[in-house]
Amino acid sequence: MKKIMICLLAVCLLLSLAACTTGGSESSTPNNTNPDTTEPGHENAFSFTYQGTEIRLYAPAEPIVAALGEPKSYTEETSCAFEGLDKTYYYGSFYLDTYPQDGKDFVYGFWFVDDSIQTNEGIRIGASKAQVESAYGAAAFNGANAYVVKRDGGVLTVILENDVVSSIQYSISLG
Amino acid sequence: MKKKSKILLCAAVLVCLALLWLLQALLVPKYMTRSKEGALIGEYYANAGGNDVIFIGDCEVYENFSPITLWEQYGITSYIRGSAQQTIWQSYYLMEETFRYETPRVMVFNVLSMKYDTPQSTGSSEQREAYNRMTLDTMRWSSAKWNAIQASMTQEERSWEGEFSYLFPLLRYHSRWSQLEKEDFQYLLHRDVVSDNGYLMQTGVKPYTTPHAERPLVDYTFGENSYAYLDKMVQLCESYGTQLVLIKAPSLYPTWWEQWDAQIQDYADAHNLLYLNLLEYQEEIGLDWSADTYDTGLHLNVYGAEKLSAFFGKILSEQCGVPDHRGDAQISALWQNKADTYYARKEAMEAQTTN
Repeated sequence: MKKIMICLLAVCLLLSLAACTTGGSESSTPNNTNPDTTEPGHENAFSFTYQGTEIRLYAPAEPIVAALGEPKSYTEETSCAFEGLDKTYYYGSFYLDTYPQDGKDFVYGFWFVDDSIQTNEGIRIGASKAQVESAYGAAAFNGANAYVVKRDGGVLTVILENDVVSSIQYSISLG
Repeated sequence: MKKKSKILLCAAVLVCLALLWLLQALLVPKYMTRSKEGALIGEYYANAGGNDVIFIGDCEVYENFSPITLWEQYGITSYIRGSAQQTIWQSYYLMEETFRYETPRVMVFNVLSMKYDTPQSTGSSEQREAYNRMTLDTMRWSSAKWNAIQASMTQEERSWEGEFSYLFPLLRYHSRWSQLEKEDFQYLLHRDVVSDNGYLMQTGVKPYTTPHAERPLVDYTFGENSYAYLDKMVQLCESYGTQLVLIKAPSLYPTWWEQWDAQIQDYADAHNLLYLNLLEYQEEIGLDWSADTYDTGLHLNVYGAEKLSAFFGKILSEQCGVPDHRGDAQISALWQNKADTYYARKEAMEAQTTN
């Protein structure tokens, strides 16, 4: 009888520990164990350089925001249930979005709003469809009005209106 | 096996089950002091029945409408079945479940969630899963819950057979043992009520000062899956003789694009539904964005929610014919208790806000 009880208790223990290797992270945002560095695996994520400051997806936001100086505007967005704030900084030519994790902010994305800045491949707002296709390839075309390039956990979206670039956006992949 | 051995075996099995149950009760999140939104769905069952109006949707319902105001000003009985980032498929199954408990005259659905067509489109997989839990874990078991789970799971959840972890939450939360806090022990066997008929009160003030920027979209067309669930809502409400009212709450962010508004208006016209984009009624409602929001315009605080409810109650009363129950002594007594709780909570939170 003792053996049966021991077996049952062992089953309980195993059940409670089961799926230790299966999903179910309690965190609500990408997992970065070192909040002072870009998330592992994303060191080569999309980036662009503005006035000597490199802005890269998944990178710690604090040094970037400090280097960029006072933004023209700044807003915060609470999530419906999670702690911390999503933040949006506006620097005249682009917006910078950050997400919180473990008390620090990381770059979620950035998007261009005028033609004074360009992507690392030389595409700016107002560029032609042919220029975009030359830079990113025909395979990136969504068949309607945008070129979408996915790389290292990031997404670059170039939106066209009447075959002219109207918006350039970078963000971390939601997948 | 001897009779004594059989009894001992049964006892051992029961002890093991009890231990597992207790372990699960300890490890699941309690949502009492943080992320209270996770407690909202489960609070409905004690209040099910007798509600003429049910609100269904995301934070734009549970933060923006006050059932107590609807009662006090119009005698309308209502409940909010809202949860954080509730998706349209979850809203549909919550609607289906609600009809098992009661048949309201009006079902009010907030249409912001039309923008999410699939679980993958709602955010990072970790965040989506956490939001799923806040809506699904405290739903009572039924086919509606099972179907809601199946519709909600992300690809990552499916890859590790996540439905079993909804059946046995211990499988999901076993690793929380290292994160246990005081509230996990305090609320091991009971929960406080965090809402007032589904309304999650906020008394803080953080004025709206700067427009929230939002990226242009590649495609503004709502997805097929979203429309399919909206169709199902229409059919479900029709089958029960309940009026479905579509609303867009007057939250300033996330952006409610005019292309989205036009699609919902077209849908409402085609299906003979009342659709109210409450962003267009801010002046009539009397919203003051320097005082009526606690988070710069994303959600209303209690003062804004009371204004909005006073405005919307008139529509429910006059356009939807929702009756005034204030002449019914029994219902009045019940709602007086609810109002007392509401004002006590408001007073306590205001005291906390000013301190």
